Amino acid sequence: MVINTFRTVPLYRELWALSGRTDPVVVPGRLGVHSGAIAKEEAVRRMVDLVPLAGGVAVTHSLRGLGPVLAARNTFRGRGFVAVLDKKDVLSPTDLPRGVVGCVLDQSTGVSESAWHALTTALRRNETVVAVGTDKQLVELVTALPEQLSTALDVVPRRDLTELDNGPYGLLHDSVLGYLGTLRQCGRWHLDWRRVYARQTDAGLAFTLLRQRSPVFVDVLLGPGSLGRCQRHGTPVILP
Amino acid sequence: MIATTVHDPRHDPVPAGWADFVACQHLYAPWDFELLGMEAWLSRNPPLLVVARSGKEIVGAMTALVCAPGQTRRYAPARPAGRFVPRVAQVYQPWLGGEGFVVPSRDRSVVRALERALRTRLGPGLVGMIYRNVPASLSPLVSGTGRVVRPVTPAASVLENRWGSAEEWLASLSRNRRKNVRRVDRLVAEDPSLVVRFGPGRSDVDAVALAGMLRTHRARFGRQRFDPRSPVGGAYLAAFLRRPDVHTLTYADADGHVHAFSTYLDHPVSPVLQFWATIGDRSHLYFDCHARAIRHVIATGRRELFAGRGMFTQKESLGFGARPMCVVGVPGPAVGQ
Repeated sequence: MVINTFRTVPLYRELWALSGRTDPVVVPGRLGVHSGAIAKEEAVRRMVDLVPLAGGVAVTHSLRGLGPVLAARNTFRGRGFVAVLDKKDVLSPTDLPRGVVGCVLDQSTGVSESAWHALTTALRRNETVVAVGTDKQLVELVTALPEQLSTALDVVPRRDLTELDNGPYGLLHDSVLGYLGTLRQCGRWHLDWRRVYARQTDAGLAFTLLRQRSPVFVDVLLGPGSLGRCQRHGTPVILP
Repeated sequence: MIATTVHDPRHDPVPAGWADFVACQHLYAPWDFELLGMEAWLSRNPPLLVVARSGKEIVGAMTALVCAPGQTRRYAPARPAGRFVPRVAQVYQPWLGGEGFVVPSRDRSVVRALERALRTRLGPGLVGMIYRNVPASLSPLVSGTGRVVRPVTPAASVLENRWGSAEEWLASLSRNRRKNVRRVDRLVAEDPSLVVRFGPGRSDVDAVALAGMLRTHRARFGRQRFDPRSPVGGAYLAAFLRRPDVHTLTYADADGHVHAFSTYLDHPVSPVLQFWATIGDRSHLYFDCHARAIRHVIATGRRELFAGRGMFTQKESLGFGARPMCVVGVPGPAVGQ
């Protein structure tokens, strides 16, 4: 991943090659600033340089990775509905499991009639319906729904790296990199390790998206934390 | 006796006497060795610098982009793959639209020596050389038996400074264009939301944002076939704009967001109006940028102004003329002969 990025993405080429590296390798004793990771603000500022030479979009997809992290905690059985409570300009989720419908509800500007109808219909049909948002947004949604429907709603709070708590539910999210992991039954924040790689640096945790085309995020610092391994599942977890 | 050396700007030190040669021949900013190094690291087809000497004195130089197949989607490897990998050398300064070689004496034997040095460096994999955008006056230096010479269309736009003042220049334009230039002057001057700044060595601009704007601007016109250039890197542009011989013209709003910019490479004789990029449709700024450059050339008494090959009709209406250029193809066996 790192070698391919060095060969194809302007920002990483510039960061490593112009610092005198002919290859993106770790030189003992010369780890650079933050062990070579880049700050999120810098990555966002230089978004056009994250588009690989082959071309692509320079737009972040903040709901990227939602499908896989939800699939790790919910069983949809071919039908379901996912309501993401976010701003209207956020792109709808594109990686939900087959048969699951997703939409973005912006409560601040008023939920569209069709989206509300789809949500209540799915609840009446006893489908698996998941709502993802901040605590405040979720409370607003539950308050707005009729009581007999709101009890069937599976509400999952969204947390960023600085807000990790003991749950019992939650999805690890970043506004730029998207969904990175989930809080599982074992009570630990599991990284979606098939799609996300994290490593520890002196400035916190740096994340790399393993399956991405454009923009390419490699080794982006998101915040404090440390890495561990879940004794029950044997996979990487994030320790607050 | 001419001795030649080939330098990879990514790894090799600056050739001895190079800075003096650049200063003495008044070469444009992209010939700076450090900038060539940055350009090479951020290129799909990195340039090599070939230098010819007579004794200790540099008598000629050439930059050749080494183009290998399969390099459209990735940067060039740090070291060339092998001597038998087919490659084409394009003699070209990508950000000058030509001027890939400099031989002050106009001696053909120096050019042939540079070619032979390149052939020796690249080995049997060198299938040919292409001289891009060679001014017609220099084509005898690179043409010859077995070489193909074709004119380039459109030709380069060159404005010959034959006016004593900007008013004289304005008076020489057609009535419609004169009215248009005055209208654009008025539009720009009366727009309170537009902050126009022009100056050398600008360190107050966000070069990364400008590089992004340049890429977006160019993407609107689609990718050219056989274009060996790579996107302009933010680090390259930042180093470039800080040079004292590079003037930057920016059109920004009150918040400092740049909406259009251009660069002007200063030269005692022939300055170059180089990059132009804009967000959205601001065609009047394109004319304003050219009018400002022309006025600057007149005020500073430069002999001519180069302004690239695009939009010739519009430039012609501002007083530019066409300077014929050609492309010269040199098949492998004819390289250095």
